[in-house]
Amino acid sequence: MGAAVGIDLGTTNTVAAAVSDGVASPLPDGEGRRLLPSVVSFHPSGSVLVGRGALERRLIDGPNTIYSVKRLIGRAWASPEVEQARGKLPFELREGPKGGVVVAARGETYSLPEISAFVLRQAKALAEAALGQPVDRAVITVPANFNDLQRAATKTAGRLAGLEVLRILNEPTAAALAYGPQGKEQERIAVYDLGGGTFDITVLDLSGSVFEVLATAGDTALGGDDVDLLVAERMADDLLKNHRFDARAQPLVFGRLRMLAEDMKRELSTRDEHVVIADDLVPAERGKTVEWRFRMTRPELEWASLALVERTFRVAQQALDAAGVQPKDVDRILLVGGATRMPMVARKVEQFFGRPPMVRINPDEVVALGASIQAALLDRARQRGAAPMEHPRIAETSVVQPLPEDPMSLGEPPIELPIVGVGARPSPGPGPGPAAAPAAAARPAADFLPGGGAKPLVFELGPAPQRVPGAPPPPPRPRLPTMPFPYEAASDPPPPPAPAPAAPRAPSLPPQAAPPPRPAAAAPSASPVPDRAPVAPEPIRPAPRPAPLLIDVTPLSLSVETVGGFGDVLIEANTPVPCDRTRTFATASDDQTSVQVRVAQGELKRFAENTLLGELELTGLTPAPRGQTRVAVTFEIDADGILNVRARDVKTGHETAARMQLVGAPTDAGDLDAMRARQAAHPLALPEAPR
Amino acid sequence: MAGTDALKVFLESLGRKSYYEILRVQRDAPAAVIQAAFHDFSLLYHPDRYVGAPSEVAVASEIFKRGVEAYRCLSRGPMRDRYDRALARGKLRIDRSRPSTAPPPPPVRTLETIARTARAKQFAVKAERLISAGKLDDARVQLVSACQCEPDNEELADRLQALYEALALEPG
Repeated sequence: MGAAVGIDLGTTNTVAAAVSDGVASPLPDGEGRRLLPSVVSFHPSGSVLVGRGALERRLIDGPNTIYSVKRLIGRAWASPEVEQARGKLPFELREGPKGGVVVAARGETYSLPEISAFVLRQAKALAEAALGQPVDRAVITVPANFNDLQRAATKTAGRLAGLEVLRILNEPTAAALAYGPQGKEQERIAVYDLGGGTFDITVLDLSGSVFEVLATAGDTALGGDDVDLLVAERMADDLLKNHRFDARAQPLVFGRLRMLAEDMKRELSTRDEHVVIADDLVPAERGKTVEWRFRMTRPELEWASLALVERTFRVAQQALDAAGVQPKDVDRILLVGGATRMPMVARKVEQFFGRPPMVRINPDEVVALGASIQAALLDRARQRGAAPMEHPRIAETSVVQPLPEDPMSLGEPPIELPIVGVGARPSPGPGPGPAAAPAAAARPAADFLPGGGAKPLVFELGPAPQRVPGAPPPPPRPRLPTMPFPYEAASDPPPPPAPAPAAPRAPSLPPQAAPPPRPAAAAPSASPVPDRAPVAPEPIRPAPRPAPLLIDVTPLSLSVETVGGFGDVLIEANTPVPCDRTRTFATASDDQTSVQVRVAQGELKRFAENTLLGELELTGLTPAPRGQTRVAVTFEIDADGILNVRARDVKTGHETAARMQLVGAPTDAGDLDAMRARQAAHPLALPEAPR
Repeated sequence: MAGTDALKVFLESLGRKSYYEILRVQRDAPAAVIQAAFHDFSLLYHPDRYVGAPSEVAVASEIFKRGVEAYRCLSRGPMRDRYDRALARGKLRIDRSRPSTAPPPPPVRTLETIARTARAKQFAVKAERLISAGKLDDARVQLVSACQCEPDNEELADRLQALYEALALEPG
C-alpha cells in the first residue's frame, strides 16, 4: 500500500506534503525545492515537461507551454473568464465537446483536467522520490469558491494522474487545519487566502476538535496574477512611450513582461523601490541593443493594486455577513497564499479586522500541509478499518515555523535575506537586483526574494540543501524550530472515530472526547428531549486531543430552473456538507417519458445569471396522463462539494434513471479511457529524480 | 455488521423525531447550545468518523444529512419560528421552498427540445447558450429566428415572451 499525500494544486505553483513520523512536511524535489510551477510544456520529442523545465520553455515555446489552467478548469467555453483569457494567452484555446474548453498543443487537443493531470503526475513522482515509496492516494485542494464543475474536473485530473482522490478539500479549510487550535477551547478564525489566481475568505468556528466552517466566499478570478498584469500593463505603456515599442502586440513579449512584473511585485514586498533592466526586449537599433529600464516604488505598486485588494474586503464582508459575524468577533486571522506577502495586504487586513493577522506557517505551503493532515486522517482511519494494526501511530505534527521575516515589519535590509538556489543555476533573466549578495547562499533563512532575474522563484525555509544532484535526499530534513502539531497527542488515545467492527453499538468516541451523549444508536426509541445541560462541557484540558473533524460547507447555492427563468434554490450556500434535498418533478404532457431539468450554482436571482452546471435527464418514466407521473429527485452535495443526483418514481417507488449532463465534462467511461491512454502515451520528463 | 445495523436503526428513528429531538436540544435552546449540539452530533455521525467501513459511511452520511437539515433550520431565527409553528401542527419536517398547496412546477424543457425542426433547433441551441452566458439580448435575436422558423410553435413563442420579460427586468 502506497502513501497518501496532500497536494495543493495551485494556479501558479503546486505543493505536495505528507505526514510521516508525526511531522507534516512539504515534499521537496531532488534539489530541495518545494514549489512545483504549475506549467506543462509539450516538447517536440513527445515528452512532457512539468515545473521549472516547462517554465523556462514559456519564453521559447509559448504556443506549446500551458499555464494558468486553474483559472479555466471547469468553465464553459462561453463563460466570461474563458472569453477574457482567449487571445491573451500565448497558447491556443478551443471549444471542446459539451461546451467545454480544450487547449491545442503540438497537433493535439487536451482537456484541462488532462493538463492538470500532468502537473499532478509530476507532483506524485516527486513525492514518491522524496518519500521513497509509491503514492497512490491524495487529498487535493481547491479554492473554497470552486463550483461543482471545477471540483469535478479537479477530481478527474487526480484520477487521470493515477491517484485515488480521498477528498477535494477547500484551501482555506486546509490552512485552518494546518494551523490547528491555539490553546483556546473556542475560537473564531478567518482565513484570508489570496493566491495566484483566486481569492477566498472562510470563517470558521473551532471548538474542541471540531472545525465548523460557518461561511465562505470568494472570487475565482482575483489573485496575485492580476497585480502582475497591472504592473505589466504599466511596463507596456512605458515601452510604448519611451521606445515606441508595442509589447501588447506580441503575446510572447507580453508574457515576458508579466514575468518581469511578478518579479517587480516580489521585490517591492521587501524594498521600497526596484528597477528592472532588460536589454533584449526592445528590438536592436542599428545593431545596438537597447537597454530598457523600468523603475517602480512600493507606493506606486500599492496605489495601482489598491482597487484589487479592496475588492477582497467586499468579498470578506459577504462571508462575515453570511456567518452573522462582525470583523471584531474574529479571534484569529490567518494569511494564506503567496500574494499575502504584499505588505499592503497585511496592513489592510489589520485595518479591516482590527487586529494583526497571523503568518506563522509559510503561506505558500500551509494549504498543502493541511491537506496532508487531512489525508493522513482519512487514510489512517481507513487502514484501521481494513487492517486492524500496522502503522496507526501517525502523530499529527506539523511544521510550524515562525517566519523569520514578519511581513509587517519591513525594516530588514534585504541583504540579510539570501537568495537560495540562484547561484546553482544560470541566471536566465536580466539584471538581478543587488540582493544577490555573495555570502548569502550559505545562510539558511526565509527567502521571499525571487531568484535572480525573471525566474525561477524558489522559497527555501529549511537549511539550503547543498547537495550533489543525484545524491539521496536527506529524508526528514532537519528543520528550523519545529513545533509539535497541537493534535499530536491524537495518536495516543484509542483510535477516534470508526467503531470496532465487533462493537454492538456503533458510534462511540474516544473516551476523553466524548461529549455527554447517550449512545443514541443503541437506544433509538422515541425519547423525550433530554436536558442538554452539558455535564462536562469540554473534556479534560490536559488530555490528548481527539483527531480533528472538519465540517465544511458548500460555497454556492444550488438551484433548478423554473418557469419564467427563475431559479428555485434547493441547497443554500454555506450549508454543511454532505447534505441533500429532495424535490418532486411532474410531467407536463400526456405520456411524457422523460423530464429535463437545468441545474445551476450561484447566488443570483435569475437562473441564467448563475453558472449552469448542466442538465438533469430523467428517462424511462411510466407513460401516464400529464402531472400523474411524479419523480422525486434527490440532489446530494457530497463531502467533496460535488453534486450527485438520484431519482425515484413517487408512485412506484422504483429508482428512475437520472443522469447529469455536465457542461464541458467528460461523462462516459470512454472519454476517460481515451484521456488515460493519452496520459500513458506521454512520458513525463522527470528531472534527475533521486534514487 | 453490527455497527451498520445500529446506525440503520438510528437513521430510521430520525423519521419520527423533531429537529429538536434529532439534535437533542430543548425547545428553547439558544443558538450557542444548538451549535454545540450539532458539533456533538457531528462527532458521532459525520461520515469521516467511519472512513474505512464503506457501508457505515453510507448510513452515517444519511444520518449526518438529517442533522444538517435540523441544524440549518434551528440555527436561523425566522426558519425556526416557521418550524415551531409547523411542529405545533404535528409536522416534523418542513420544506421551505415548496408551498404545500401549489401544484408541482411543470418541468423545464430546453429550447432545443422545444424546437422541432433542425433549423429552429440550431437557433435554439445558440439562444440557450447565450442565455447561460447571461447575454439575453443576443439570445433574443437567436430565439426570434427560431420562432420565425416555426411560427406555430406556441411553446417556443412563450419562451421568447419570457425572454422579453427578462430583458425588461434587466437593469438598464
